[in-house]
Amino acid sequence: MKGRTLGATAGLSLLLLAAILASLALGDANLKPMEVLQALAGRGDDLARTIVWDIRLPRTLVGIAVGAGLAASGVAMQAFFRNALASPGLLGVSAGGALGAVAALALGGAAASIWTVPGASILGAFLATGAVVLLARRGAGPEHLLLRGVALNAIFGAGTSFLLALSAGQFQVSGQILFWLMGGIENRTWEHVWIGLPPILLGCALMLPLGRPMNLLSLGEPSAQSLGVDVRRLRWQLIGLSTVLTALATAVGGVVGFVGLVVPHLLRLGFGPDHRRLLPLSMLGGAALVLLCDLPTRFLPGGMRLGVMTALLGGPFLLWMLRRNPC
Amino acid sequence: MLTAEGLTLGGRLRDVSLHLEAGLMVAVVGPNGAGKSTLLQVLAGLLQAQGRILWNGRELSRIPFLERGRTLTWLGQESHAEFAFPVREVVAQGRHAWGDDRQGVDEALAILDIAYLADRPITQLSGGERRRVFLARALATGAPLQLWDEPTASLDVRHGLEVLKLARRLADQGTTLLVSLHDLRTALCFDRVLVLDRGSMVGFGPPEAVLTPELIHTVFRVQARKAEALTLELPS
Repeated sequence: MKGRTLGATAGLSLLLLAAILASLALGDANLKPMEVLQALAGRGDDLARTIVWDIRLPRTLVGIAVGAGLAASGVAMQAFFRNALASPGLLGVSAGGALGAVAALALGGAAASIWTVPGASILGAFLATGAVVLLARRGAGPEHLLLRGVALNAIFGAGTSFLLALSAGQFQVSGQILFWLMGGIENRTWEHVWIGLPPILLGCALMLPLGRPMNLLSLGEPSAQSLGVDVRRLRWQLIGLSTVLTALATAVGGVVGFVGLVVPHLLRLGFGPDHRRLLPLSMLGGAALVLLCDLPTRFLPGGMRLGVMTALLGGPFLLWMLRRNPC
Repeated sequence: MLTAEGLTLGGRLRDVSLHLEAGLMVAVVGPNGAGKSTLLQVLAGLLQAQGRILWNGRELSRIPFLERGRTLTWLGQESHAEFAFPVREVVAQGRHAWGDDRQGVDEALAILDIAYLADRPITQLSGGERRRVFLARALATGAPLQLWDEPTASLDVRHGLEVLKLARRLADQGTTLLVSLHDLRTALCFDRVLVLDRGSMVGFGPPEAVLTPELIHTVFRVQARKAEALTLELPS
């Protein structure tokens, strides 16, 4: 298994590197790999340097952050709920983040500052988690949390629809909202990178050492506790980290679905459920998947955005999973 | 040495007190809903109840999680598994509190007769095989207090007898075991029997003294009669 793990890590790292290179090279103006590398090193012609440093590198780095964050968040949720179908959208955290961002956009916040929409999204996600925490305070099990998530999703979804309907007359605002709800990483700036990448990498790093206790938790909470895991603390760590990661990813990439569901599940099928392996592999795989799904959006008609691509891949995948393993 | 004083939890457990020396094998019996599983979970620190539990004079709830994981282990009735961990990895989880040192894992696999399943995913095993995997995990902890909730429930005759033999061996080595059971005849081969009825302890002591026809009639509402019956033993 060790050899396989090393092979998988190397393979996924190579895939991610290739995706990064493609993400930097392809677009309206295609660059050769050599030109990309020269531009990265600060050499070559000015235009290539501008394209790589000012346009594509922020987009690529935001894509890595969004993919790694959502996939890690999915792994944590699945261990927490002991259910391979759990995903970051479940608790209403994504919906809360979406509502925050949509509220900011509807109020014209996009013009105020680049920080407004991501900030509102993070705030919305945290308020959603706060609501889940308050509602679930009296020793609620995963099922209770899940049902509260369903209810919160409905409430936040209603709020988002209301704001969208209110803005229907203002074409620019409703366009921004729709674009944001469909998720995408184009036109990202270095500010977006600073908002998303360092805290997401930190969150991922904090999650890595939890792999072993997550293994125990995923086979039952009481038995994990009797084997020496502080289950209460671990549950809060998982829910907290996964909220932060989802919130940050949504803040800089909009609503991008299915990454947290598809990536861990596929890797689990290939390399087993051990979270010590699954966590780093999912982070690599999630980043690669988002970058690869972002590539066709540069050439296809305007509506084919990142969120649409991941949903188009993820929806059939979910149906396939349900067919294999009806629950 | 395990001491419990006045354990009370809603209507599920009423003022249960007991004192156990090390190396005793205790059967916990009672009708459905009598509080057997609840008592084991309270003793394992998984459910908070009123009263006190002392292990060698120390309050159990004050013992840090990792140390508690080395002190006691609890085997629940549920043997569902969602994720396909290989059997060896599940058993090795028993060493979590020991820094994952894997000591005794192979031995536990051999004792529970599941060494041949070591590389199989746990999701592919039968209910009885999973039970043995979780028993092996409990065994691998090396904890001196073992709390087993109906360990023999889904096992075939031979493996059921093997588990009882294992319990006896552990007790002889100084481990204290509390094992919930439904078969009163099996309870007769334990050192002590603890009888629960509607959350209260209605009998505690050596089996022949406790499991009288009168008590069995009162608690279980069945007639007990001594008779020559088929006996099942492991071949020597």
